[in-house]
Amino acid sequence: MVILDLVERIGTVADGATVTVPLDPADGALVAAWCARTGNELVDVVDGVATVRRGRGPDPFAELSPWQLPGTRLWMYTNFDCNLACDYCCVRSSPHARRRALGADRVRRLATEAAAAGVSELILTGGEPLLLPDIDDLVAACTAALPTTLLTNGMLFRGRRLDALRRMDPARLALQISLDSPEPEPHDRHRGRGTWQRAVDGIRLARAEGFRVRVAATLPPEQLHTLEPFHAFLDGLGIAREDQVIRPLARRGVAESGLELTVESLIPEVTVTAEGVYWHPVSADHDDQLVTRELFPLEAAIEEVRRRFAADRRRADAAAQWFPCA
Amino acid sequence: MSKPLIVGAVAYTPNVVNIWEGMRGYFADGPAPMDFVLFSNYGSLVDALLDGTLDIAWNTNLAWVRTVGRTQGACRALAMRDTDAVFQTLFVARPGSGLSGLADLKGRRLALGSRDSAQAAILPVHYLGEAGLGADEVELVRINSDVGKHGDTGRSELDALRAVLDDRADAAALGINTWEAIGREELMPGAFEVFWESPTYSHCNFTALPRLSEERTRPWVERLFAMDWDNPEHRPILEMEGLRQWVPPRLAGYDSLFEAVRTQGISDRW
Repeated sequence: MVILDLVERIGTVADGATVTVPLDPADGALVAAWCARTGNELVDVVDGVATVRRGRGPDPFAELSPWQLPGTRLWMYTNFDCNLACDYCCVRSSPHARRRALGADRVRRLATEAAAAGVSELILTGGEPLLLPDIDDLVAACTAALPTTLLTNGMLFRGRRLDALRRMDPARLALQISLDSPEPEPHDRHRGRGTWQRAVDGIRLARAEGFRVRVAATLPPEQLHTLEPFHAFLDGLGIAREDQVIRPLARRGVAESGLELTVESLIPEVTVTAEGVYWHPVSADHDDQLVTRELFPLEAAIEEVRRRFAADRRRADAAAQWFPCA
Repeated sequence: MSKPLIVGAVAYTPNVVNIWEGMRGYFADGPAPMDFVLFSNYGSLVDALLDGTLDIAWNTNLAWVRTVGRTQGACRALAMRDTDAVFQTLFVARPGSGLSGLADLKGRRLALGSRDSAQAAILPVHYLGEAGLGADEVELVRINSDVGKHGDTGRSELDALRAVLDDRADAAALGINTWEAIGREELMPGAFEVFWESPTYSHCNFTALPRLSEERTRPWVERLFAMDWDNPEHRPILEMEGLRQWVPPRLAGYDSLFEAVRTQGISDRW
């Protein structure tokens, strides 16, 4: 009888250690109930074997900073088409990519549900969001609910799109503009000729319009040690140091090299596209990190991300128990 | 800082190290620091208390009875868990077994735990005698595992339950802690039911000898009683040790075991 086996096995190990017992699938609920009742933790059930930890184990969220807690920020991919075709784009955006727009109705509902679910910041990205004719409506729906950041390449602040930008609320909206280098060549090599100058012009214009501007750079991991000239250049543009975001290139999308990112190695950032809810914005075009196709209720999707993150961390802890070094 | 009190206990599971590390850490911040020594069996623990290696022993009820006997009653109990003051032995059987009281065990098979377990062997035999059942009127199926640890591991009680499930016994005697550990009747409805509960009796206590002065024990006991279930730093230690509150010892709760040990001629060394 599995409960007798569990009591006996758990009794032979210290708090925090795990034991395994063979488990008839019909007894799964019984083992879960026993764990809940006795203050032990069912780590997982795989191939007819249950792994149980004595005691409750460490809180997988305790080691995260408050801003890293899954569900603190909500990313929304407003669209996937883009005026650029960067050679490392993690979601394969380009002028030829299908738009796959989230749409104003869903953005509005997501913003409202996010605020109710405890999200503290919304982040709109793409694709290039400013390609959308109703981008100012989408932004207004978001800023009405929560502080919002809009990611853009900064190259489209002209004509009706500049008018749209001017209708956005600088008190509730920050802009995050991509710039990969303090000089044109490295940026242009990945993003297209002339794009560096237009991005720098866009940064200056956005600041002149009263927006807080963050600059995000994507660098190959081997270049991450040569950052000081870049910081000095951004200082000269008036970008605060805390708004200078420099991150390594990820091997996702059309990128041929870069950091390998997996569900296990990424702290999740709940990300919504027209197709579903994803683990992280860097993987929003990849089904290996699809969490659910159901966007609503948003709170359930956030809870699922948290549940998977906690389960992954606990499994990793259990694996560490299995392979002691001494 | 005063010299630490040396507390002895039996390591019946690796988790005992966690428990006593937690206790040592708790007492390190107070006026009566302590350290601990672990033994593999209660016979050695009691010997170490008597020969002065230890200041205080964390004794089972049988170890307490033995210490009283070997000190002619000069030892004293300092404290126990709230759960120690209301310990019980339960007799369980498969539902529909036709057992509704101890008298029904006449001519039936009763699985007992380790012979040095007060809750699963010594007191159950005592209760059978009190119910008027002679030594040859119940077939005792004895499962002697982990002898020396006074039933602390619970393994023999689990084996007694397996004996009932496998129809090698009609009933089993076990401590209420094991009954709680398997979730009482509630997790496995239809597997076991309790057909007789013993009166409450006392289980473990902290035992000291007269050579350890009240001046030395008083601040330690006061600090012990100050452990607070609602304090998140104290709670893990209390949970691991299986109590919510430390309480003064209930000595009357040992009367039945003194009587059982005497009438059954239980070995001095267990």
